[in-house]
Amino acid sequence: MNLQVIGCSHHQSSVATREQLAFTQQQIKPFLNNYYSKFPNSEVVLLSTCNRTEFYTVANKPNSVPGKSELIEFIAEQRGIAATDINSEIFIHQDRQAVEHLFSVASSLDSMVVGEAQILSQVKQAYKLAVETNQTAALIHRVFQSAIRVARRISNETEIHTNRVSVPSVAIGVLAKQIFERLDNKKILILGAGEMAEETLRYAIHEGGKDFTIINRSIENAKQLAAKFDGRVGDWAELEKELAAADLVISATGATKAVVNSDQFDRVEEMRKQKPIFILDLAVPRDFEQSISDRLNVYLYTLDDLQKECERNRQSRQSHYPKAQKIIDHEADQFFNEIQRRSSGSTIAQLKRQADNAKQLELDRLMNRLEGVSEKQKSEIEQSFNRLVNKILHPPLKSLQTESPQVSGGLLEALKKLFQLGD
Amino acid sequence: MNWLQNISITCFAASYAVVFFLEISRVFFDVSFRKYVRVGFAAAGLFAHTVFLILQGKLVLGSTGLWLGSWFGWCLATAWILALAYIWISARQPKSVIGLFLVPLILGLIGLGVGFGHENQFSPMRAKSIWNMVHGSALLLGTAIVALGFVFGVVYVVQSRRLKHKSPQSRHFRLPSLEWLQKSSEYSLIISTFLLAIGLVSGIAINWTNPADDTLSSGRIIAWSNPVIWSSGILFSWLLIVSVFNFCYQPSRQGRKVAYLVIASFLFLVLELAIVWWVGHATSDSNPDVAQRIEIQSVSEELHSVAGRLKI
Repeated sequence: MNLQVIGCSHHQSSVATREQLAFTQQQIKPFLNNYYSKFPNSEVVLLSTCNRTEFYTVANKPNSVPGKSELIEFIAEQRGIAATDINSEIFIHQDRQAVEHLFSVASSLDSMVVGEAQILSQVKQAYKLAVETNQTAALIHRVFQSAIRVARRISNETEIHTNRVSVPSVAIGVLAKQIFERLDNKKILILGAGEMAEETLRYAIHEGGKDFTIINRSIENAKQLAAKFDGRVGDWAELEKELAAADLVISATGATKAVVNSDQFDRVEEMRKQKPIFILDLAVPRDFEQSISDRLNVYLYTLDDLQKECERNRQSRQSHYPKAQKIIDHEADQFFNEIQRRSSGSTIAQLKRQADNAKQLELDRLMNRLEGVSEKQKSEIEQSFNRLVNKILHPPLKSLQTESPQVSGGLLEALKKLFQLGD
Repeated sequence: MNWLQNISITCFAASYAVVFFLEISRVFFDVSFRKYVRVGFAAAGLFAHTVFLILQGKLVLGSTGLWLGSWFGWCLATAWILALAYIWISARQPKSVIGLFLVPLILGLIGLGVGFGHENQFSPMRAKSIWNMVHGSALLLGTAIVALGFVFGVVYVVQSRRLKHKSPQSRHFRLPSLEWLQKSSEYSLIISTFLLAIGLVSGIAINWTNPADDTLSSGRIIAWSNPVIWSSGILFSWLLIVSVFNFCYQPSRQGRKVAYLVIASFLFLVLELAIVWWVGHATSDSNPDVAQRIEIQSVSEELHSVAGRLKI
C-alpha cells in the first residue's frame, strides 16, 4: 500500500495559507470528483478544519499516487492560487509516517489544543464524504477505520481528553457542575455582551441552561445576544434585583472598575437570604470586588482562578502524551503487520496454487506412462509428490511469515519476481 | 440451605472492608472495572448481612411483630440500612467518593454491635405489642437516616470548603454537587424528624397504656424522670425546632447551614443513644423484677415444650 499525506496545519503554515487552502463542506465533494477525473488510480480523503487542510492519497500500486509537486499544482489550480505561494508551507508524509500522522490527528495529539474532542468527528466527516464520492475506496476504509479505532483507544486508555482546557468550558463544565446538579432550573445572569460572555453562555446552554438574562450597558448588544439565544434582556438599573434572583452569574463587561462593590452586594445578600450563588468574573479588570468572595454561600471565581485550573489541566493532558504516543506506535506496527499479512497471504496462495498446478501436471503425465499401478501405489506416489512440494515451499514461506514487515516486504517482492507471480 | 447458617459477621464485615479499601484506592488510581467489583462486594455483603440478621440477629417478623433481639441486632440493622443506602448512592452518584465517608460508619456500627451489643438483650416482652414494633422500627430507621444526613453534611462541608478555597478537584476525588448534598441533607433532616417523632410518640403510648403486670411502683414501665425520656424529648425537640426553623426561615436551609444542622443532629443522636445504652433502656437489665419474671416464664415455656414432646 502506498499512502501519503500532503497539507498544511497550524504547526508550520501561516493563517493566510491555511485560509487559502480551507474548504467548506460544500466544496469538498466537487474537489474529490475533480481529483478522481485526474488521478483515477488512487483514492483520496480531504480533511479541512480551522487549523489544517490535509489530502490523504492512497493506492495499491507503486507510483499510482500523485507526487507532491503534481498534487500541489492540482490543489492550487482548484483553489485559484499560485502553487509557488503555498509550496514552502506544505508538508508531506509517506507510508508509516503518514499513518502515524493520521492516527495522531484523529486522536487530537496533533491539535492546537491537545485532547480537544471535535477533531475526531471532523475526521469521521471527511472519511464519510470520501466514501460517498468513491464507494469502492477499500484502502481508505482500512486506513481511516484504523485511525478511528486508535482515537477511541487513546480516549479510553489515557486521560488526554478528560480535563477541559478553555476558560468557559472549565467554568461551566467543571466548576458549575460541582455546585449545581443541573442548570435547566437555574437563573443565569450574564453581565456584558462580548465574545467571552457569549462563549460562556454557549457552554451554559450546552449544559442545559435555559433561563438567562442579559444585562449590558449598551442595550442594543444585549438585545442582539438575547435574540441569538432566546434570552431575556434586563435593565442595568435593576442589577441588584437581578443579582438577588440569579443562581449563576457570568460577568464579562468591559468596565474599567468593579461594577458590583461590597456595599451593593450587602443589599443583594439581604434579598438572597443566603441562597448559594456561583459568580464567574471573567472580566479584566474584575467586575466584582474581591471581598464579596468571603461571603457565606458565595462562590466567586475570577479569570485568574480559571486560568490556573486550565493550565493544570493542560499539564495533565501533556503528561499523558507519551502513553498516547506509545499506543500510536503500537497500532502503526499492528496496521502494517496486518497489511503485510494480507499482502503476503495472496502471494503465498498464488505460489501454492502455481506449485500445485505444476505438481498435478507432472503427476498426470507420470500416471499416463505407468501401467499396472494399483490404487494403493497411485496414492503413495501422489503423497510423495505432495511432500516434495511442501518441503520445497516450507523454508521460503516460513521466512516470509517470521521476518519483520520491512524484511518480509523485500522477500515478498523477490518471491514475486523469482516465481513470476502477479500483484 | 445449611450454608446460609454458616454466614457470620466476618463475611459481610470483610465484604464492606473490601468496599472501603476499593473506595480508598479510587483516590489514587483509575481502574475501569473497579466500580463493578465495588458494587458487587457491597451487594454480596448486603446479602450476607440480610441472611445473618434473619437467621442470627433475631430479626423476626412474626405474630408478635418485628423483634431485633438486642443492641447487637439493632446496630447491625442500622448498618444494614446504611449499606443499602450506599448501593443506592453508588447508582445515583457513581463518580463520587462519598462511600469513603459512609462505609466507615457502616463498619463502625458493626464493630459497635459486636463490641457492646451482646451483653444487653432486649426484653422479649416488648416485642409483643404493635406499639413496641412501631417504636423500635421508627427509631431504627430514624437513627439510620440521621446518620446518613450526617454523612451528607460532612461531605457538603468538605466540598464547600474546597470550592471556597478554590482547591482543584482531583480527578480521583470527586464529590457530589453542593445542590445534591444540600437537598439530601434537608430530606434526611425532615424524614428523620418524622420517624423520631413516631418513635417518641409510640414510646409514650407504650408507657401510658402499659399492662399492669410489668409496671413499676409509679404505674409506668419507665419513670417520666428517667434520662431516656428527657434525652429523647430533647433530641426530638431539637429536630422539631430545626425542621420548623428550616421551613419558616429560608437562610437556615441554604448551603452550609443545613449541613451544620444535620451534623449537630447526629451528635445529639449519638448522645441520646449513649444515654439509652447506659441506662439499659428496653433491656431486661432496666427492670430486675421484669427480668426475673421473664426468666421464670421462659423456663416454664421450655418445660411445657419438653412435656409436649414427651407426650406427658
